[in-house]
Amino acid sequence: MSGERIVDADVGVLGAGPGGMAAAKALAAAGLCVVVLDEGHRAGGQIFRQLPPGAPHAAIAEPPSHAHGHALIDGFGASKVELRSGASVWDAKPGRLWFEQDGASWLLRCKHIVLAPGAYDRCIPFPGWTLPGVLTAGALQVMVRGFGVVPGKRALVVGSGPLLLPTVTALASAGVEVVAALEASSRWRALRALPGVLGNGARLREALWYGRKLLTAGVKLQWGWTVFGVEGDGRVQRATIGKVDADGRPRRETARTIEVDVVGAGFGLVPSIEAGLLLGCASRLLPARGGHCLVVDAEQRTSVAGVYAVGEACGIGGAEVAMAEGELAAAAIVRLARGAPIAAGIARKAARERKAADALLRAFAPLPGLHELAQPETIVCRCEDVTLARAKAAAALHGGSHRAIKIGCRAGMGPCQARICGPSLQALACGRPELPMDLPVAQTPLKAVRSETILNAPEG
Amino acid sequence: MSASRLPGADARPVVAFSFEGQRVEARAGDTVAMALWAAGQPALRASSRDGAPRGVLCNMGICYECLVVVDGDTVRGCMQVVREGMDVRRGGKP
Repeated sequence: MSGERIVDADVGVLGAGPGGMAAAKALAAAGLCVVVLDEGHRAGGQIFRQLPPGAPHAAIAEPPSHAHGHALIDGFGASKVELRSGASVWDAKPGRLWFEQDGASWLLRCKHIVLAPGAYDRCIPFPGWTLPGVLTAGALQVMVRGFGVVPGKRALVVGSGPLLLPTVTALASAGVEVVAALEASSRWRALRALPGVLGNGARLREALWYGRKLLTAGVKLQWGWTVFGVEGDGRVQRATIGKVDADGRPRRETARTIEVDVVGAGFGLVPSIEAGLLLGCASRLLPARGGHCLVVDAEQRTSVAGVYAVGEACGIGGAEVAMAEGELAAAAIVRLARGAPIAAGIARKAARERKAADALLRAFAPLPGLHELAQPETIVCRCEDVTLARAKAAAALHGGSHRAIKIGCRAGMGPCQARICGPSLQALACGRPELPMDLPVAQTPLKAVRSETILNAPEG
Repeated sequence: MSASRLPGADARPVVAFSFEGQRVEARAGDTVAMALWAAGQPALRASSRDGAPRGVLCNMGICYECLVVVDGDTVRGCMQVVREGMDVRRGGKP
């Protein structure tokens, strides 16, 4: 009955963001049969979001680097790559990717897998963050740039790292008043990013572009500030903000309240490595790159034969890194399949982009003191409604590993599979902000799919 | 509705659906979550513990906070594209 739902390809690519598109386009150009599985509705991933056809293309300000994204989307669209949008990959083995699309259960069989799943926003719980109207920084950008929907009238943007800038500019170009834009890192700490910016012409142009946009919008980034809490009757109405110390600890005496109707919180990104872990790929903890990352060699090969990883899954680095690594992975596969050597420039470019990204992002490694924003009654696991007090009690009783906390209070056992609470759960529950998170347990199904999808999964 | 959309002519057809029994007008290509946000409805599910309202958090299919029931199926509001005549209800426990 479901036996027909099998697709065969030379290469299966997971994700149609910059890394996946770059890899797929290069592979198809070399004559390989490529199928790309992507959960979104259109190619581009989260960073190069496209409005639906026919939507008003009002002046959404875009930084210079997005021109590369548009060129890549066009080239990808014109290539022979088969893109399957709305495809949720829920199980994986080397050479096999099982996915659900339009409610049907599918299997992609391929010789090589390229993992380009991207990343998601790091969430740090604070009082009131479960109120409707508190969204991740990425969510607000998707709302404006992907759907042309205006998030609100008065916005607060909080967090840490370069992604606060596109969030502010997206809001401003949608006509939202950005009441405050708060970067938790101190100005001095952020100066450590300077060599990474100054040493790379494209990044410097990007930084200057954002500087001008913020000036035009009348938004001043406040360094060493963050949100202490959010309140409202059924949705966001007020936020308390204040200064933090060099480690991110709230200085409560500086608190003041502002009226806002939407809050965007972006405390950096977390690499999406679940599919890689399920495939058996080795990982390592790299805090400045966002947490646990897939380990790859100089040609993007993971520890599992036939499985490659590019972009954010190997550590947060941005679109330019992802595109360069995507091309490198493609070149490595083409060499295997066609015997064509890898052009020297491809590997050099990937290494150069990665080095520049590392130099920039080490200035924004997560601040441990921000875990003190949550209060005992603050919900830390949103799926299972577990408060900080319950998570702490579970850690005290069952032990401080990620697994013990999960078993003790169900935190991290809901459908998000700890993607939201996981990165901070251990630090929060154990009251030891310096604690790195245990390697998360990746399990089937990777995404909550219909039970029929699993029962009817094609074999092969 | 227009106040919560970017300005400019929208060439997309209107897609109407029902949310908790009330008619909502969306545009082709909207997700349920974005159509409801534009319609002034940010609360999409009730928390399992105290029934407190929850809405879109990640807007990219990761967090499952925007669960709604569409024609009897529980789905992520941020990933489900609107269809004419669909019956959308608030979700409960994720």
